[in-house]
Amino acid sequence: MGIALIAGAGMAGRACALTLRRIGWDGEIVLVGDESTHPYDRPPLSKSVIVGTADMDKVVKPAPETYAQDRIDLRLGTRVEAVDAAARTATLSDGTALAWDALVLATGCAPRRLPIPGLERAHRITRMDEALALQALLAEGPRRLAIIGGGFIGMEAATAAVAHGHSATVLEAAPEPMSRPLGREVAAHVLRWAEARGVDIRAGVAVEAVTDAGVVLAGGEVVPADIVVAAVGQAPRLELAEALGCAITDGGVRVDAGLRTSVDGVWAVGDIAAFPSRWADEERIRVEHAAVAIGHGQVAAEQIALGEGLFEDLPTFWSDQGDLTLNVVGVPRPDDEIVWRGDTQTPACTAFYVRDGRMRAALSVGDMKTLRGVRKLFAAGVEPPPAMLADPAADLAALAAGG
Amino acid sequence: MAQVSIGSLDDFAEGELTRVEADGTALCVVRVGDRVHAICDDCPHAEASLSDGDFLSDDMAVECPLHGSSFNVETGEPDCPPATEAVQVYPVTVEGGDVLVDV
Ligand SMILES: Cc1cc2nc3c(=O)[nH]c(=O)nc-3n(C[C@H](O)[C@H](O)[C@H](O)COP(=O)(O)OP(=O)(O)OC[C@H]3O[C@@H](n4cnc5c(N)ncnc54)[C@H](O)[C@@H]3O)c2cc1C
Ligand code: FES
Repeated sequence: MGIALIAGAGMAGRACALTLRRIGWDGEIVLVGDESTHPYDRPPLSKSVIVGTADMDKVVKPAPETYAQDRIDLRLGTRVEAVDAAARTATLSDGTALAWDALVLATGCAPRRLPIPGLERAHRITRMDEALALQALLAEGPRRLAIIGGGFIGMEAATAAVAHGHSATVLEAAPEPMSRPLGREVAAHVLRWAEARGVDIRAGVAVEAVTDAGVVLAGGEVVPADIVVAAVGQAPRLELAEALGCAITDGGVRVDAGLRTSVDGVWAVGDIAAFPSRWADEERIRVEHAAVAIGHGQVAAEQIALGEGLFEDLPTFWSDQGDLTLNVVGVPRPDDEIVWRGDTQTPACTAFYVRDGRMRAALSVGDMKTLRGVRKLFAAGVEPPPAMLADPAADLAALAAGG
Repeated sequence: MAQVSIGSLDDFAEGELTRVEADGTALCVVRVGDRVHAICDDCPHAEASLSDGDFLSDDMAVECPLHGSSFNVETGEPDCPPATEAVQVYPVTVEGGDVLVDV
């Protein structure tokens, strides 16, 4: 038994703590988070929270009293400052010293800091307090937003804002926004759909400064804005892992399929974990998506409680861009070949990511039947030839069932 | 719990999802043969109305129209991410053609 210390009360940390109790582990659980809000789902921040349409009981969950009922010692507004692998101790920001038998690192990502003058006056929306601050401003009436960064978070915020009567200009340094996670061809479609909904996308621009008037671009042009949002990317918070001496791989904490780090008694979960995945040819990948974070938290809990459990889930994620929802299963790579199914002129189609003639991932928009079929194909290990994937008449679920 | 009538069996077409308000609770209702199932209409994951989704008769589950988790109408459990929590299931009885839900 003993004491499980979970550093970081985000999506993975929360899942780990709740799962430990659900599967009957009886040791002490200390869940330490440096945010002041009770643990919550992070994805709604850039979607429903900023425009004020979120049902907060579904975002901040479980209900706060659950932690006491589950005998989870939740320390909010508190940071794990220092950790010692040999002594198995930790020091918190309030000065408390703790002993642990199992340590779970669930520290997530921190926003990237760019050396742009005035960037500190831009809003960030990766934490609840930040998203609520933007929500309060957007509630005052229609505003002109300039959003620096055209990744998922920036595009979600822009599409949500225009759907609620604001205007939004997205400023992206890369010539082809979203092409890193989605590949050029699919990204171009997603951007076109967003533009059709009224988002102004300016790609390949360099931001020089943020001022009272808006955003100053290289060359001197000012993009006027009432509100500037910075969504310029993030990087894993590895300080604790490094202090413990955990092996680091590709910018993440190196773990095995049981989420064990190279240091005995220490696990790493969620955005920071570089884990081996059979969905990526057994290579280690780092995934910054919610379902993976939750799955990691659950597996680390099983490991601590039962000494077994491997994370083998098919990675999936979604992104709501206003009334357009992207659902992705598998591990897409930017250089995969794209095979479309359905009419790409409308947001009711699926893009298959094909590598070496094999389906590796699919992104579906407004086509739940295909999405369901793809999940079944992956689960069954059935790989239809690309021509069949492209054929809207081919019943993927039936192919998965061997039909 | 209050038992509320939400109509007669004939009001519900086989395998079709219907949104019904019962005593202030929005339900997603589906008829399968002579049985009727009712679950909370509000997807536990994000902002979606489950009755806008599809009924998967093979799985006896309601698929969310937004991100595709499907919820078994008897247990409420989701089959795959992103939903992780079960949806509330409401007991239904059919008495003399009258459909009664405990809400
Ligand atoms: C705005 C936004 C929108 C997103 N949308 C989607 C989406 O649509 N779909 C999707 O699949 N994924 C989405 N994601 C990604 C998803 O939310 C993350 O992958 C997930 O939250 C990762 O979980 P985690 O526990 O690793 O990190 P987090 O949830 O970020 O939690 C880490 C927590 O640890 C705290 N912490 C860090 N260091 C310490 C320390 N030393 N001591 C104490 N506490 C510490 C942090 O403050 C934070 O609260 C989104 C993320 C953001 C920011
Ligand atoms: S809203 Fe239902 S699965 Fe996301």
